[in-house]
Amino acid sequence: MLRKRIWVTLFLLVALLTWVLVPVSAKKVKLTVWGRDLPDDDPAHAYIKALVEGFKAKNPDIELEYVALGDPGLMDKTKVVMASNTGLPDIFQSWGGSVMGGYADAGRLLDLTKELKDIPGSAAARQAMTWKGKIYGVAPFFAIAGIFANEDLFKAHGLEIPKTVAELEKVCDTFLAKGIQPIAVGARDKWPVLALYMYLTNRYGGYEAFGNAQARKARFDSEPFVKAALKYQEWAKKGYFGEKPLSEAYGDAQQLMATGKAAMHITGSWMCAQYSDPGFTDQTIGFYAFPILEGGKGKATDIMGMTDIGFAATRAARKKKDAVVRFMKYAMDPEPCSAEPGRICSVPGVKSPSRLNAMASAVFATAETVQFWWDQDLPPMVTSPLNDTMQNFFLPDADVKKALTQYEQLVEDNIGPVK
Amino acid sequence: MGKAAAVKTPQLSMGKRKAEKKKRDWHSITFQALFLLPALAFLIIFMYYPIIETFRTSLYQTTGFGPARFIGFQNYARLFASEEFRTGFVNVLAWAFWSVVIQIPLAFYIAFTLVVYKTRITGFLRAVYYLASVMPSAITAMLGRFIFAPTFGVISSLANRLEWKWLASIDFLGNPNIAFWSLFAMATWAYTGFSIVYFMANIEQIPMEIRESAQLDGANLWQYARYIAIPMVAYPIRIIAIISTVGSLKLFDLPWLITGGGPVYATTTLAIILYKQGFVNWQYGRAAAVGVIIFLLSLIFTIAQFSFQRKSGELD
Repeated sequence: MLRKRIWVTLFLLVALLTWVLVPVSAKKVKLTVWGRDLPDDDPAHAYIKALVEGFKAKNPDIELEYVALGDPGLMDKTKVVMASNTGLPDIFQSWGGSVMGGYADAGRLLDLTKELKDIPGSAAARQAMTWKGKIYGVAPFFAIAGIFANEDLFKAHGLEIPKTVAELEKVCDTFLAKGIQPIAVGARDKWPVLALYMYLTNRYGGYEAFGNAQARKARFDSEPFVKAALKYQEWAKKGYFGEKPLSEAYGDAQQLMATGKAAMHITGSWMCAQYSDPGFTDQTIGFYAFPILEGGKGKATDIMGMTDIGFAATRAARKKKDAVVRFMKYAMDPEPCSAEPGRICSVPGVKSPSRLNAMASAVFATAETVQFWWDQDLPPMVTSPLNDTMQNFFLPDADVKKALTQYEQLVEDNIGPVK
Repeated sequence: MGKAAAVKTPQLSMGKRKAEKKKRDWHSITFQALFLLPALAFLIIFMYYPIIETFRTSLYQTTGFGPARFIGFQNYARLFASEEFRTGFVNVLAWAFWSVVIQIPLAFYIAFTLVVYKTRITGFLRAVYYLASVMPSAITAMLGRFIFAPTFGVISSLANRLEWKWLASIDFLGNPNIAFWSLFAMATWAYTGFSIVYFMANIEQIPMEIRESAQLDGANLWQYARYIAIPMVAYPIRIIAIISTVGSLKLFDLPWLITGGGPVYATTTLAIILYKQGFVNWQYGRAAAVGVIIFLLSLIFTIAQFSFQRKSGELD
């Protein structure tokens, strides 16, 4: 009888413990993260894979649901849920700037200033994820625009990497005469045109040129913008961008560089991984700062940059701030960051994975001012019209001044007139 | 007694029958309503309400965040003032026109030839022509880019190998004057298959006796097609014309995937403008205004087509 009682008591005790403990251990915090890339074996996705797998392994009390939405799926879906204020993820991949600012203004984001202000990282990357003085996320990788140059082709034709725009033109003329496309651009996709236009405008008008137009102290059809557009058009007419630049997609531009058919590619440092991958190209490619313009206001140390990979948190995660902060901190940890084969890391202590990446990092290190990519810094209602406007630069008969004036009118309608 | 009963019985049964009929009618109405309600609710929630809501949104300035501001018809005014919209508007009308003028006669010609010259490979050819129609737009667009790409494209590579410089120099997707036609060529290949199969099915329905009597009367194939086949498949031709026209007004996938609406606005369409305004530019009000314009244009074309058919007695 006693034995039976002991068994019954033991059974009840086990049942009680199971009832009490199991729900506690099962009650994990669920964190939903929306990203662009799959955490698969693609070298370009190495960081995301390391981040997702590493975070899961190091945080067993958090259930991480990572959803890869692709491009433009991530941006489209994020926009829809932000507008409807339903179905928000806890964290989403963000490029910061004005788009993130729009979400912040609408009250959809979680202010993490207190929690993230002391995380070590580059000032430019922190600035990209800051809006109106509040930090909403982290940017472990930051991209800068510069010139990818095929060093083999430069050497073969006895050319030096250009330090001035005049030298750049001479280099382009030489390549053109040798039947090599001087610059690959990918103008069909519109946005790749911007990198060179930002630099040309900067070199003519200085760092303030864009800032003044954005702050409505100057027009977008003022001198530096028009001069840069005319220079662009002049180069297109000369054939610097090939015979059919508007048919060339960004992927085509990469192929032209990879096969040695083009000598230079002015684009973001995110291409470092591919251009240093022997499986992608057998050419020796280097990364250099955009040249200065003699007599112009812009400096070689004025660098165009943007968030390459960043994350921001939404208000949906306000009750699990601790888990969000742990994710953000791990995103900025050298461990997953070291898995990245190409991008410029904002985290101190992470070694450059390749010579090309080291070159891009060195250019970034010289930056005295970092101008955010215009299409990340301007409000969304005027960014895609800017990309459309820039395609005019490739049409020999287009009136680029008129196109910029039309763009200015659109900016006036949406942001306001020049004060 | 028997007679009285015989007279009374029908009176009683008639009243009873009326009551039963009334009851049955109610049952029938309830029954019908039960069947209709889900479909009706579906239509109201997912079709009529969004149409009304889209029209309402088109009168507001809204980014989707914060309060919307009523601005009357300003979204429409701004759209018609913009070069992008005007180009897109003209493009879809041109696309609709050329679809009817080129694609339908071409489809009819191929269908007629396949039916008239029926051989063992007709079935195979039907499948070949239809294949492009069942392919996803993304694949068709990839093929288009692969064919027209400037350096590594099929045409460019072939022209370079054959040293046909005139062909190699054509900028199929980057020249604003040619890009529209390059896309149209791809669309003709992609969309004509359905029309061919539809026309074939209808031409095959024409009784053999009619063709034989036409042959006995000395009609050649052209006359048979002109005076017998075309009038007899006039209704299917109009149906295809409506589908092509309305499809053109909503055109999005091929231009977006192949050229992104460029160069500049050369291949943009109303649906591309709608997408860009809503999802890229955050101008929900203006995107809704484009949606309303597409809806109205489609409605006008459809009503015009049906009233034309009603006048010609086809719908009676």
